[in-house]
Amino acid sequence: MRLLLIDHIKTAVHSLKTTRTRTLLTTLGIAIGVASVTIILSLSHGITSVIDRQVRANDNNLAVVRPGTDSTTSFASPIMQQSFATSTLSENDITDIENLSHASRVAPLMLLNGSMSADTTTLKNRSIVATTPDFSSTSNLEVREGQFIDAVTNMNTAVVGPQLSVDLFGTEESIGKIFSIRGERFTVIGILKRANQPFNYNNVDLDTSAIISLESGKKFHNGTAQIQQINLRADNQKNLEKLVASAEKKLVKNHDGEKDFTILTGEQITRPTSNVFTTIAIVMTIIAAISLLVGGIGIMNIMLVGVAERTREIGLRKAVGASNAALINQFLIESLIISMLGGLLGYVAGYAIAFTISAFLTFSPAFTWQIAAIAFGISIVVGTLFGLYPAIRAARKDAIESLRQYR
Amino acid sequence: MPKHQISSPVIELHDLIKRYGIGDAENHALSGVDLTIEQGEFIAIMGPSGCGKTTLLNILGLLDQPSGGEYILDGTSVGSLSRTRQAHIRSQQIGIIFQSFNLIHRMNVLENVALPLTYKGVSHTKRLKMASEILKTFHLSEREYYMPWQLSGGQMQRVAIARALVNQPSIILADEPTGNLDSKSSHIIMEELSDLHKRGNTIVMVTHNPDLTTYASRVIHMLDGQIASDTKTPIVTEKKHEKVSLDSKRAKVSKKTTKKGRRK
Repeated sequence: MRLLLIDHIKTAVHSLKTTRTRTLLTTLGIAIGVASVTIILSLSHGITSVIDRQVRANDNNLAVVRPGTDSTTSFASPIMQQSFATSTLSENDITDIENLSHASRVAPLMLLNGSMSADTTTLKNRSIVATTPDFSSTSNLEVREGQFIDAVTNMNTAVVGPQLSVDLFGTEESIGKIFSIRGERFTVIGILKRANQPFNYNNVDLDTSAIISLESGKKFHNGTAQIQQINLRADNQKNLEKLVASAEKKLVKNHDGEKDFTILTGEQITRPTSNVFTTIAIVMTIIAAISLLVGGIGIMNIMLVGVAERTREIGLRKAVGASNAALINQFLIESLIISMLGGLLGYVAGYAIAFTISAFLTFSPAFTWQIAAIAFGISIVVGTLFGLYPAIRAARKDAIESLRQYR
Repeated sequence: MPKHQISSPVIELHDLIKRYGIGDAENHALSGVDLTIEQGEFIAIMGPSGCGKTTLLNILGLLDQPSGGEYILDGTSVGSLSRTRQAHIRSQQIGIIFQSFNLIHRMNVLENVALPLTYKGVSHTKRLKMASEILKTFHLSEREYYMPWQLSGGQMQRVAIARALVNQPSIILADEPTGNLDSKSSHIIMEELSDLHKRGNTIVMVTHNPDLTTYASRVIHMLDGQIASDTKTPIVTEKKHEKVSLDSKRAKVSKKTTKKGRRK
């Protein structure tokens, strides 16, 4: 039986070589599908490992509270819930969490959008982060120049990201300069160090945002806080679990017994949360699924053509003693070779494209054995699924009829 | 007296029936064939078109299933075995020669001859070695790496005979082996078959051509799905047939030498 397997592979390679052009064209369908899968997976793993590094940066004692029960955005819900629903987290929650034992740092995150203008420039739709002074330590922010917002600083002061500073004033040296957010005047008191982390668990690129105090943020929102996220750090890693448990208890009590929030720790935080990214991932998944389907149909089609062309050969093989199983194996191996060739091509091409895309991003695609296994697995499944019918058809052919057929 | 002593029968058919169609359209291709074929016989089956001779050959080759009756090959009843078992028997005990040769065009001569051994489970190297040996007996050694389309009709059929023989079958079935060949090639093929017969092989041949029955040791006439006559003929002497050298190259060489001799 083992000998026969090697024979089947040799026969398949031989017959595929004689129809080289159409074999290669057929592999393309699978290649595109597998390439899409590889791109999605390698980039999403890349992004995850970037966020993972941020989370682990400080003792791994970080927890994140987000409104809504399903805060891990799946491919099925591309738009984050908090972008249109009113957040269920309130200022009371923050003070309650601050008072819990083991809570060392607590910072709310209120994300706003608005236009900003300096002397000559006006920028539309920039992100504004309204938060408390603890934000700098929960997210390990470094201030390059000046200071972070603190309890004693004036309400109309802001810390700006380096890129925002360049966009607004044409320079990174903008301490003391005045600009306006949504018509309110703010003075720059600090400039952040460039982080180059557009993808992070705060869902905002701090390089291009302005950070203002929570009080100022509330002013833009009819005086109420709209909190998208609470970052909280335990006094040490061992106590994180206790802290999360007690915070959950407290918040459920605050929210009339309703658990309308989620507390994430460790790896859960690292799931990609960017809207853009999830949208791209959905589109790519659809492309992958369609091209795998079309590619599979292509394989089936070309295999059926091959079976029809080789009817006499099939008849002869039967006459000299090939069993039905031997013929099924022979044609199945042929379609598997096509699909695995496509898988290999797609895997290589997928990484080539992923690296090209990542040249425009701030992270590189990840290499893991899981991605290779998935790409490989998909090709095997497609090859078997779509090769089975032609193979069975070949084996079911009547030997006498086949031999009589004019070639 | 035949060269080979008659021993146990290779094939026994008891009341073999083959029906096609159902109801009004029912048609008996074979209606009760009883036949015993002994080891070492060379049987020619004759008869008009549609008398059932090809159907009989297909059933003997296990390519077709009988509708009734019993088929015993080498002492075992095979008519009702599973398809996989039948495929196994085909690869072990039966060699088939077709009118249209049926060589696989993608493969060279050697690989074509070695093909039946694949399904017998013989390793690749050993397979090619065995095929090469059998081709030697057909004087086709220097054609081993030719592709089938580079050969003449007669050579193709000789390759096909080599292929039928490579798995050392207990019976060789030939369906109009010379039907696609000119008379000269036909005689070469018939010489080969009669040579095989002399070496002790059992051959069943279906033919339209009465001339070819002279090679056979037994001639069966069929009519309307039944055996009409069954006559044993004495082995013909080789003188009866026009002698044609099997090795065309050797023939050329001998011509050349004679020419040279004349020049001297």
